[in-house]
Amino acid sequence: MTAASARRARGRLFYAAVLTPTLLALAVLAALVLDVLGDSVSWQVVEPAGSGSSFSVAEGFRFTGTWERVVRLELAARGESAEEVEALLANSEERRIFAARNRVELMWAVDGQPLRWVVTSSRDKLISDHALVAGTRERKALLAELRPGQHLYLNQWLDGSIFGRNTSRSPLVAGLAPALLGSLWVMALVILIAVPLGAAAAIYLEEYSQDTWAARAIEVNLRNLAGVPSIVYGILGLAVFVRFMRLGPVVLAAALTLALLVVPVVVIAAREAIRAVPDSMRQAAYGLGATKSQVAFRVVLPAALSSIVTGVILAVARAVGETAPLLLIGAAAFVPGLPSSPMSQYTVLPVQIYSWVGENNPEFAHVASAGIVVLLCVLALLYGVAFWLRRKFERRW
Amino acid sequence: MRERLVAVALGAAAWVTVLTTIAVVAVLARETFAFFTDPLVSVVEFFTGDRWTPLFLDKHFGISPLLAGTFLVTAIAMLVGVPLGIASAIYLSEYATPPVRRRVKGVLELLAGIPTVVLGYFALLFVTPWLQTFIPGLKLFNALSAGLVMGFMILPIISSLASDAMISVPNSLREAGYGLGASKLDVVIKIVLPAAFSGIVAAVILAFARAVGETMIVTLAAGQRPILTLDPRETIATMTSFIVQAATGDQPAGSLAARSLYAVASVLFVITLLLNLVSQALVRRFRERYE
Repeated sequence: MTAASARRARGRLFYAAVLTPTLLALAVLAALVLDVLGDSVSWQVVEPAGSGSSFSVAEGFRFTGTWERVVRLELAARGESAEEVEALLANSEERRIFAARNRVELMWAVDGQPLRWVVTSSRDKLISDHALVAGTRERKALLAELRPGQHLYLNQWLDGSIFGRNTSRSPLVAGLAPALLGSLWVMALVILIAVPLGAAAAIYLEEYSQDTWAARAIEVNLRNLAGVPSIVYGILGLAVFVRFMRLGPVVLAAALTLALLVVPVVVIAAREAIRAVPDSMRQAAYGLGATKSQVAFRVVLPAALSSIVTGVILAVARAVGETAPLLLIGAAAFVPGLPSSPMSQYTVLPVQIYSWVGENNPEFAHVASAGIVVLLCVLALLYGVAFWLRRKFERRW
Repeated sequence: MRERLVAVALGAAAWVTVLTTIAVVAVLARETFAFFTDPLVSVVEFFTGDRWTPLFLDKHFGISPLLAGTFLVTAIAMLVGVPLGIASAIYLSEYATPPVRRRVKGVLELLAGIPTVVLGYFALLFVTPWLQTFIPGLKLFNALSAGLVMGFMILPIISSLASDAMISVPNSLREAGYGLGASKLDVVIKIVLPAAFSGIVAAVILAFARAVGETMIVTLAAGQRPILTLDPRETIATMTSFIVQAATGDQPAGSLAARSLYAVASVLFVITLLLNLVSQALVRRFRERYE
């Protein structure tokens, strides 16, 4: 082998050595997403506490009122009289309770038939649970072993009704409603608090402050704050907002804590955006007789707005996925109701996922994976919007 | 007058960030002081003792098991994340075309943006069962899978920051190398890497700080048993996982067990602060050289 070809071979080897880790990282990302998606579907043998029946698509489907139709069929099969059924459906409170305790949906492969309506109640007994691949392989054996009254079906844990159901002690009917609503509440309040604060601080640092020791102190401090572990913010929130200000474990305390967490991120992004606004625009405004605040708010801020918004969205995405600080300031695993004000008790998606993963009952892992899919979708949406904004409003000065 | 008011209001917003730091330090200092003045606690035992059992009846407050746990998980993460991250940075800055670089960086950012509770789920329910098929004696909660997954959490951080450092190495240096007949491999290893060295080290230190402060992966996948071990198959506890355990348990506020979490948090805060300061100093040095 000549020296030149050995040199080429070494070069190729090195190229492979630096390319592989990048591909490996992408493979891990893919494995994670596939694992989560795979876990959100599983084969189950369930022994219903009530009727033990399932209904064909044609039996249940109506152009309007499919839900009611299936509930009627189920209640009749459970042995309730026609009057009792009508009384239940007529009473909105009873309907709500039924919807919270029972899951009405189209299930795949119920007892070997392709698509059936199944009503699962929180009292149903989960006999066994099989992963998607293993269960598909052993499907015939599982069907043969079914005892009378038991059903085998492919449970897609992430169904439409999971968004409407409350949390439950039974994994079969546990839902995401409180966590999703809690996350939305926290997200909205974080935006309301962190954006004005972060943008104002950025304007001050870029447009107002001179190069004094104070400005430098703020500068150094900001960079250090961005590196403080999030759990330390939880300790701060616990001591200041929950205990000292006596807010208790409520949405507002969570939003304030997370706002402090993301303010450095917002400030850093906003400063970069403001710095990119060319000086000629400021000079032009001053030339027209504008005051300093007019320049800041009517010239610089609008020009930098889209970049600031992109930074804000990325910061909010971070806040939405944050778990540790909220565990410290008392986001609950089980909340009595849905959050309705900043002073409500709450839970959020990541905390809910954490508590489901920690459950003794292994079937909760499926509910957790359904929650993760929803959380990742929320994040993907945020990233998508940020990306779109960056592309659409990208300006070159 | 109005101008002055606006300036003051904006300045106040900037000072809120400073206030945050002051509040963090004040809270930690107050509670840590209260912890150490308790007759059951001694500063010497805290730093030298090898048992950490604040939640038991027989209380011992030696932080070394938590430090060992944190160090163990972080070391595994660095073993994975540093070589892979730097290699990927070399690919991004020296081999990838700008459009490919932009896309790959975007996807790596997604990996960095995955909530850590999701990574903890992945470590506990995917990586651990997989590792158990060929590593005998691997506990359900273990340092190894938490560390491995954490390695992939810090990989994008290192890759992104280190590739920025390499990209800002002036092309004239590379061209000088090629002019002397160096191969691409020589240029990367003997010119670009040394020139970007302080930037790469800064990235590694920043990633190290992130790994030390990371909470959810270790809480979910590494367990909550503070023992002094360096066996990666074992269940351990880290500083962060202890803080979660103590805060989510039912310790009454103001009890010694509850206060111990502030002492641990103070140690964590000081460690990450020092790491961040070192990293920033390195970045500054490196910037001055080429600007």
